[in-house]
Amino acid sequence: MRTLPLLMIAAVLPLSGCDYIKNLVTAKPDIFYAAFGEGYAAKPDLAQLEYEHPLSAKELVKVTPQYLDTLSQEQLDQLYARLPAGPIPDGAFDGSIVFPKGSSGKLRLAEILGGLKGLAAQFKGKKLEIIGETLWKGKVFYRDEKVLRNRIEDLTILRPIIGAGEIPKISVDGRDAWLLFPAKLYCGQSLLDSRRESIIIDYAFTDELPGYRERPDSLAGRNGLKVRDEIRMIRPGLYLGRAYLDRAFGLNFILENKTLAKAGEADFLAGKIAQECWSGA
Amino acid sequence: MKTSIWLATMAVAAIAALAWFTKQPEIAQAEIATQPSAAQVQMTSQQNSAYTDDGFHSVEVGLSPSARAGREIWFKATAGNERFHTYTFQQRVGVLIDWFRVLRGDQREQRFKTWGLINDPGCCTPGSPNCPAKSREETYGFDWCPGDETLLKFVGKSGYRDPACDFKDAPAESTDPKGHQDGREDACNLAFGTSTGALGFRKFPNPKFDPVAWKKLNGSLGTWEGYDRKISSDPKRNDAKLSHLSDGSIEPPFRIGMACGACHIAFNPAKPPIDPAHPKWENITGLVGNQYIRISEIMVSGMPSDTLEWQVFAHARPGTSDTSAIPTDQINNAGTINALINIAQRPVHDNTQVLRWRKADACSSGAKEHECWCEPNKPGKCWQRSLKTEAVHHILKGGEDSTGAVGAIQRVYFNIGSCAEKCWLNHLTDLRQLDPAARNFGQTPFSLGQCRRDCPNFRAIEDRLHDILAFFLSPESAAIDLQTARANTHPSKAAYGKDDLTADLEQEFGKGAVSRGRTVFAANCARCHSSSKAPAETVDFHALDPKTGLRADWLGNDALSPVSEIGTNRCRALHSNHMQGHVWEEFASENYYARPVEPNIPEQNGGGRGYYRNISLLNLWAHAPFLHNNSVGPELCGGSTGSYDFYRNSYVDASKPGHPTLPFDKSPACWKYDPSVDGRFKLYVASMNDLLNPSQRILKATKLDRDIVLDVGPRVWDGSEEKLVGFSVRIPAGSTAGKVGNFQHKAFIADLIAAKLHPQQLEKNYTTQLGAANAHQLVLAMQDTANAIVQDPGKLVDAIKSARARLPLLGEVYSSCNAEIENDGHRFGEDLSPSDKKALIAFLATL
Repeated sequence: MRTLPLLMIAAVLPLSGCDYIKNLVTAKPDIFYAAFGEGYAAKPDLAQLEYEHPLSAKELVKVTPQYLDTLSQEQLDQLYARLPAGPIPDGAFDGSIVFPKGSSGKLRLAEILGGLKGLAAQFKGKKLEIIGETLWKGKVFYRDEKVLRNRIEDLTILRPIIGAGEIPKISVDGRDAWLLFPAKLYCGQSLLDSRRESIIIDYAFTDELPGYRERPDSLAGRNGLKVRDEIRMIRPGLYLGRAYLDRAFGLNFILENKTLAKAGEADFLAGKIAQECWSGA
Repeated sequence: MKTSIWLATMAVAAIAALAWFTKQPEIAQAEIATQPSAAQVQMTSQQNSAYTDDGFHSVEVGLSPSARAGREIWFKATAGNERFHTYTFQQRVGVLIDWFRVLRGDQREQRFKTWGLINDPGCCTPGSPNCPAKSREETYGFDWCPGDETLLKFVGKSGYRDPACDFKDAPAESTDPKGHQDGREDACNLAFGTSTGALGFRKFPNPKFDPVAWKKLNGSLGTWEGYDRKISSDPKRNDAKLSHLSDGSIEPPFRIGMACGACHIAFNPAKPPIDPAHPKWENITGLVGNQYIRISEIMVSGMPSDTLEWQVFAHARPGTSDTSAIPTDQINNAGTINALINIAQRPVHDNTQVLRWRKADACSSGAKEHECWCEPNKPGKCWQRSLKTEAVHHILKGGEDSTGAVGAIQRVYFNIGSCAEKCWLNHLTDLRQLDPAARNFGQTPFSLGQCRRDCPNFRAIEDRLHDILAFFLSPESAAIDLQTARANTHPSKAAYGKDDLTADLEQEFGKGAVSRGRTVFAANCARCHSSSKAPAETVDFHALDPKTGLRADWLGNDALSPVSEIGTNRCRALHSNHMQGHVWEEFASENYYARPVEPNIPEQNGGGRGYYRNISLLNLWAHAPFLHNNSVGPELCGGSTGSYDFYRNSYVDASKPGHPTLPFDKSPACWKYDPSVDGRFKLYVASMNDLLNPSQRILKATKLDRDIVLDVGPRVWDGSEEKLVGFSVRIPAGSTAGKVGNFQHKAFIADLIAAKLHPQQLEKNYTTQLGAANAHQLVLAMQDTANAIVQDPGKLVDAIKSARARLPLLGEVYSSCNAEIENDGHRFGEDLSPSDKKALIAFLATL
């Protein structure tokens, strides 16, 4: 019976702390999205889209989590595919989940099922989001060690599930969180867009990393839910991510560090951002 | 509640549905000092000249500059696919290649027997006499090969200058627009790297390699054993199946690429090596096609033998390759690597409507880029896409490549992984994508225009395609007759001539057999297996074309025959990647798309599918076994043992339900690889007897030889026991491998849900295809199956078995190809008398 909550934690690793900025940025980014149809064959070619409508730093600095929440899955795909991987982040990032809207305005999950149970599926999605907001606060990148750890709310109710023992903690903006679910960090293949690499957050060999705990960390690993995240940089301090379970797409998420955003903006606009991963060139 | 049920159904059904075919109706710091210094390597190599690239070039004699250039590209150019074969295939497709297992230097002696690979005569095992490398640490466990004196300096470093940068281009084609002549893409983008020790397989230094991490993982710089070692030795743990090959954070010392030659380079049938593990350059030819290669096993070499990938793909016969396995069309249909013989005589087909890119010197103002495009900074180098009527070859088993010879050559580079990331990977089907509205639910066509623009490796090849074609048209592709082969390999028969061959054949097959065989051939076979226009009775099939000096008759008309007429396993004829809307759409002609439906097979077809071309019988003596899948004739094996024995007995007992595999002691033994002239001839005779006596063939159908166990849900280790939170689906050994691969799981899942949610619509959808009564039955069966799965997912195998037993029609609807038997059909000639069959065998041996 205790396994289920653990599974839920592992499944929502990329989910949101949902500390959304309440003040909308002054201008909505002017980003072009190609028209698309309902079926897979009616989606535009990503290479051609980028060739004709490349993203500009000027518009990307305007992208906010709220803006991303307005996009459909296809629009998120079109955005992600045009992003560079950017530098491998360093430090703590807040996390949020992005639930894209389908063409009907419902959660895409509901649409997959043919629209019937739209409301119920939306409810299910909301529950997932709540779990994410409650448990997962974001990620901490240890860039030099090529390791990432997740910030999990240190809720007393979770202690019996996770088990006894010292759990490393981190405090970000005055909020404490456990550091669980370590993952390897490297440049690797995007499962959406092959044309350039993404930054991969891979839990498969989590047991080889310092601080690994069998419970609950193994649940995200190679014998568990096989979680693999990939991220690309929208602008310094803001990354768009995609979470996969056993290579099946699960969720979109964002990682945000406002301090880094401010510090890196000038260089970003000047085109001075390092690319550590293969850029396709 | 309903939603969760159907979510659960959907989540498990993809895996569950595979059970469909379970029943027949069928650490330590690394000492950097162990790495050789650049000076050491350089000095050693200069002291020895035995292992150089001189041998490769020594056999270029007689080739035109263009053909010479084409040959080098064919043998060495990867066009940048090393990233695909090192990272992309593994991470995106999810299939692991164990390159060390395949290419490790200490197994050089076994490489041919195990993998069918041909050792590069220019390479050597470190530590062997005169080998520039003295220890395997110097070469990271691989062979030492020419060019490694430079390449090895750059393992773990950037700045490697590819040997292709020194490629000697042939003069440009004089008929090309000047911009094309002057603007060829930088040859560096041909990307040669150096040989791995196996011809056609090339290695590149990995700048991301970390020797400290590597030594920690493997214990030594000279081995990759820690990389591919199973994580656990406890068979109860799932880790007993897994290795670090799936750890994308690990950077091996080399990235491995593949040239077209990987599959096409072969032993010269007329000059076979004395020892296949130690060939010389004179024993090697580039166009015959490697009849022994186990490319399918190589591509899944890092997968455990009880995985779906291994069981479904690692059974293709030696010398065959499922070229639509990676760009998957979900049809298990491996085919032989085509022998390229007498290309100058190969028939072309007039009046073919071909929409393709053609060289131009300019684009009209206002032309859109998808119609005409000029390469930036290359004045006068433009390409225009237009529809024209042309005479083209029919290439591939069903003549799918039908936009011209250079187009077909160009596609081969995509088949070996070139420009995958930039051009075509985003257009493939993702087998895990179950949302019809999401990208990669199915294939979409990739654009050659986009690829030309975005991938310099593509341009490097495209600008030299005429060189490769020149190689194809060179003496390298000239027919290799048995007479020549016997003269070459038997010094005492140096004067072995046509009459000697005839005498020997008649001694074996009866007096006058060759002459009689010609008559039999003209009357029974030439309709398809001759390119002559004159009545077959009047044709001298041995006559030479005065223009080319080659045999005038190509011994095949390359025309298309409905697969039902041939009767052979139809799965390859249902190949769908060239159809409109599919990934290789641009390589097919308008005529291909317009082919009529083949009405005599149960599977949906049309759009080009349903046909085989009438192949050439040139040098049949050297190319057994027969048929498109090498299924007619003895089964071949390399003779390796243990985990390197890839032979899977495919003989079945056709008298029993489900066609179970015959026990080994009741099955004909496999024939060991024997590329000698005598070995090829014996195999030819045995295969011809099999071909001409179809009723005596023991039927073949490859079965799973291990259970495939698919876990649905995570595993939890409680300190003493590993428990699966979920359930397992087991596809038992004995299921037909091809049918598992052909199962259309996406349609099945969609219809399971539709049967519960929109049954009337589903029934309506199938009424046209199946008729009202059958459509109704299908919906009822799917509803029953869905209910059974929801009630007890653990019993879903039984539910599916039961449904299919009740309604075999389901097998036709949810399979891309239902054919099971691999060696049936092509019964032509079975009614000939025994003496005429012998005569035909004798005559064909002379061609």
